[in-house]
Amino acid sequence: MLRSALVPCKDSLSNTNLLRSVVGGFGNVQLKRNQSTQPATQQEVRPWSPHTKDKNNLAEYAFARLDDLLNWGRKGSIWPLTFGLACCAVEMMHIAAPRYDMDRYGVVFRASPRQADVILVAGTLTNKMAPALRKVYDQMPEPRWVVSMGSCANGGGYYHYSYSVVRGCDRIIPVDIYVPGCPPTAEALLYGVLQLQKKVKRMNTLSMWYRK
Amino acid sequence: MLRFTVSKVLNGAKNGPKTLTVLTRWQSDQAKKPEKIEVFIDDKSVMVEPGTTVLQAAALVGVEIPRFCYHERLAVAGNCRMCLVEVEKSPKPVAACAMPVMKGWRVKTDSEMTRKAREGVMEFLLVNHPLDCPICDQGGECDLQDQSMAFGSDRSRFVDNDFSGKRAVEDKDIGPLIKTTMTRCIHCTRCIRFASEVAGVDDLGTTGRGSDMQVGTYIEKLFLSELSGNIIDLCPVGALTSKPYSFTARPWEIRKVDSIDVLDAVGSNIVVSTRTGEVLRIMPRINEEINEEWLSDKSRFAYDGLKRQRLVTPMLRDSSGELKPVDWEAALLTVGKQIKNAGDKIGAVAGGFADAELLISVKDLLNRLGSENLCTEHVFPMDGSGTDLRSSYLLNNKIAGAEEADLVLLVGTNPRLEAPLLNSRLRKAYIHKELEVAMIGPEVDLRYEYEHLGADPNVLKNIASGSHAFAKKLKSAKRPLIIVGSDTLERPDGAAILASVQALASSASPQEKSWKVLNVLHKVASQVAALDIGYTPGVEKIRNGNLKVVFLLGADEGAITKEDLPKDCFVIYQGHHGDRGALLADAVLPGAAYTEKQATYVNTEGRAQQTLVAVTPPGRAREDWKIVRALSEVVGEKLPYDNLDEIRDRLEQVAPHLTRYGRAENANYFKQAAALAKSANLDSTPLDVKIKELKDFYMTDSISRASPTMAKCVQAALKQKEAKC
Amino acid sequence: MANYFGLSAITNFFKTISSHGGLRASLAKMYRMDSVRMGTCVGTDKYGNKYYENKSYFYGRNRWIEYAPYYALEYDGSQIPAEWFGWMHYKTDLIPSQDPSRPQYKWMTDHTENLTGTPGQYMPYSTTRPKIEAWSPTKA
Repeated sequence: MLRSALVPCKDSLSNTNLLRSVVGGFGNVQLKRNQSTQPATQQEVRPWSPHTKDKNNLAEYAFARLDDLLNWGRKGSIWPLTFGLACCAVEMMHIAAPRYDMDRYGVVFRASPRQADVILVAGTLTNKMAPALRKVYDQMPEPRWVVSMGSCANGGGYYHYSYSVVRGCDRIIPVDIYVPGCPPTAEALLYGVLQLQKKVKRMNTLSMWYRK
Repeated sequence: MLRFTVSKVLNGAKNGPKTLTVLTRWQSDQAKKPEKIEVFIDDKSVMVEPGTTVLQAAALVGVEIPRFCYHERLAVAGNCRMCLVEVEKSPKPVAACAMPVMKGWRVKTDSEMTRKAREGVMEFLLVNHPLDCPICDQGGECDLQDQSMAFGSDRSRFVDNDFSGKRAVEDKDIGPLIKTTMTRCIHCTRCIRFASEVAGVDDLGTTGRGSDMQVGTYIEKLFLSELSGNIIDLCPVGALTSKPYSFTARPWEIRKVDSIDVLDAVGSNIVVSTRTGEVLRIMPRINEEINEEWLSDKSRFAYDGLKRQRLVTPMLRDSSGELKPVDWEAALLTVGKQIKNAGDKIGAVAGGFADAELLISVKDLLNRLGSENLCTEHVFPMDGSGTDLRSSYLLNNKIAGAEEADLVLLVGTNPRLEAPLLNSRLRKAYIHKELEVAMIGPEVDLRYEYEHLGADPNVLKNIASGSHAFAKKLKSAKRPLIIVGSDTLERPDGAAILASVQALASSASPQEKSWKVLNVLHKVASQVAALDIGYTPGVEKIRNGNLKVVFLLGADEGAITKEDLPKDCFVIYQGHHGDRGALLADAVLPGAAYTEKQATYVNTEGRAQQTLVAVTPPGRAREDWKIVRALSEVVGEKLPYDNLDEIRDRLEQVAPHLTRYGRAENANYFKQAAALAKSANLDSTPLDVKIKELKDFYMTDSISRASPTMAKCVQAALKQKEAKC
Repeated sequence: MANYFGLSAITNFFKTISSHGGLRASLAKMYRMDSVRMGTCVGTDKYGNKYYENKSYFYGRNRWIEYAPYYALEYDGSQIPAEWFGWMHYKTDLIPSQDPSRPQYKWMTDHTENLTGTPGQYMPYSTTRPKIEAWSPTKA
């Protein structure tokens, strides 16, 4: 239920959408290239909340603000479950260390899935580990997110053609953030966590509940 | 035309045209038991009937003699010489496949002489066989490859072709299904024998002799038969391979799943080969009761239709009248709302591919909603006993039983194209025994001779009253069969035809009590299960019901059109192919095709069989009964089964035979059915069948219509027809 | 002498506040950037981001960016353009305008921030033909 509220349904199977994403992918570059190299200072100030600011519908507005509040709370205390599987796990440890210091974002490693909001899949997911991963994921309370860290977790990476490796942990659990790299730097992982914060900020659980 | 088997020639004088090479069920009961003789295979004693070949005797003690040309279901040719074995006191090795054993023979299948003979034969066979195994599709399942490893020599003494090259033969174009590489041919003539004996298309043959011998079609033409694909399986080398499957996969990479074919009502046993979630080919699985080891071309090659025109996501018709993909939640909620609003104004039409699980779940759901409007797309007369008595809609005497008949009356059916494997049985009986066939209906080509009694249904009455000449034959026949086509029963006077056929059947006097004269041949796989579960044949109820919601369960044959339904009727289509039914629909729920679900189908004999999951349903498609189960929860009438076992328990409650897989339960109450039947006046419009020619055979349902291979076959059949006239 | 008693911290505190233009402005900065630091602005990129340096902080924290005001709180590391990336990460000590080895070619595209989560995001797509061809209702 929550997940469907999170992500608007995109139908990747239909051809038109595929076409759009293809054109969009290249179209953007074209667009940017044609821009002048002058500083683009005339841009609008970005709003804090991605949700509606329309005060005409008071209830919607109220629920949008409640969502904002909820999201602020959630994104400020993302507690990851460490699922270190390989070398990526070492980089994952680094974000806890003082140089990157994840604590300043309210990110605290948990050892139990039942206390965690997000699972950091760091490293090569093997066929043998896959059921364990799923089990651990299933034990996490909603709302929950998944960060896939490194090439192996993203898509099998170096071991893609191995007989014993799952070709991406998204075959087992639904991934929210993919962090590229082999392994990704701690900085990249931290950036991934910040991206997750942004994603959390876009959630509209209460608004959706109200609209239903 | 026919090559008589050696044993047949030998026994011909005594036993009449009865072969031992063609094994039949009741053969041993019927023939007078001759005294058995003792032979020794590798010093193991075995008692066999006279006329048994050495090869068969060896098989009895578990010794397999290598062979290329010999095939159990074909006449003996004895031309590959691979089966040479030593027989004590015989100066030369003998061909085991053709030589009947004599009393006291001591056969040595592993002696020095035998081995040398085999090695020599292998050497000869390989003189001209190209060494292209790496690019040959047969590689890995090639008899020649296997046997040259087992019995061949590691080198050849024929070195002159190092300079002159090996024999090269031009490839033939024999149609869109079979790829030929005639250089690889070892002249076993299995394909020729199959074509002339089983398929009845005497197109293949040999020309030239010695090393100039070629297998071909004499003149340039296509080898078109409804059973042509079987020569691919028969070919022991890579000379004949499957065109659609060419260069796709190696046998060791593929995963094989036993399943059931649903493209006709025969329910042939098949093996589905898959790799990486894709159906790569379909091959027959031996089942002596149904398809022996043959498979019709549609069943074998229409699988590429499973990859095209598929419904992969639920769809809803939006305000602009276009079907738009949506997710399951939205689709189920919308459909559920419509069903709730409709109340008992809801109906369902089952198409040809609906499995028993789907049928029962939809029936349960609709019954809970208070509706009884459950129909099948194909009509069956409901007058008289209707579908209450199973015996009136089954092929009661079973498919294998057709072989034993001595007189067959076909009423408005074209078994060759409606059920090719039943026709091959009839043809077998026609050739090897003395089967007489008569036909009431259009004059179609069945590849054997038959007495045409005209197309007027009133002939039935004349026979029943005894005024027709055929009546006498029917009376005197020991094992008569009457096979009625489902096409005929779809006519407005179908009930009258069925009644007169039932009367006719009860007037016949078969020798055995258990012999069933009345047989109905269906065309679609779902029909028998639907009738068993309690669906009403025909869509009258839907047309007259003024319904608000109509559920199409893969109904694609156009029995229901937009005009038949009220304007505000909400049409739900659940199925696997986007065809006529999906175009009508306001909501499309993607289901699974027969290779993608574990489902029960009942064939025209009433034999329940199950398909197994070979690949997963594409995209968001789901197993059909699960969709209905999910829908029932949205509607608020939760169905009480959550898994396959539970739904099968429910099936068992309704009709216990539906879960006794592999068994065909006999139906009874012929007399009662005949007594209940109301005789009405027969229409005098001539009987007709829908599938008359080969070109009509290939594309008959949503799977085969989506198949490019089948489209090519239709083109080829049309081309061939044009060329002929 | 004052340093030994930690008095410099106090003077720095007041200096910092005044350099930002008073207590209110400093609190606003604190709210936006979670830190209030004093430094010299070494350059501005074409998007309006300002780059600061203060050598008295220890290495690793002595260079920072103040994102252009229109980003508000929606700032992100990917908004630093490529030419400033090197300076920010201590790959070079030369700011782009002082670095002679920075060729400018016509074909070089403009910098884009990470568009993930916006309509302009990159969506991976398969270039292989699908195994199953879906039915599209408009075709028929």
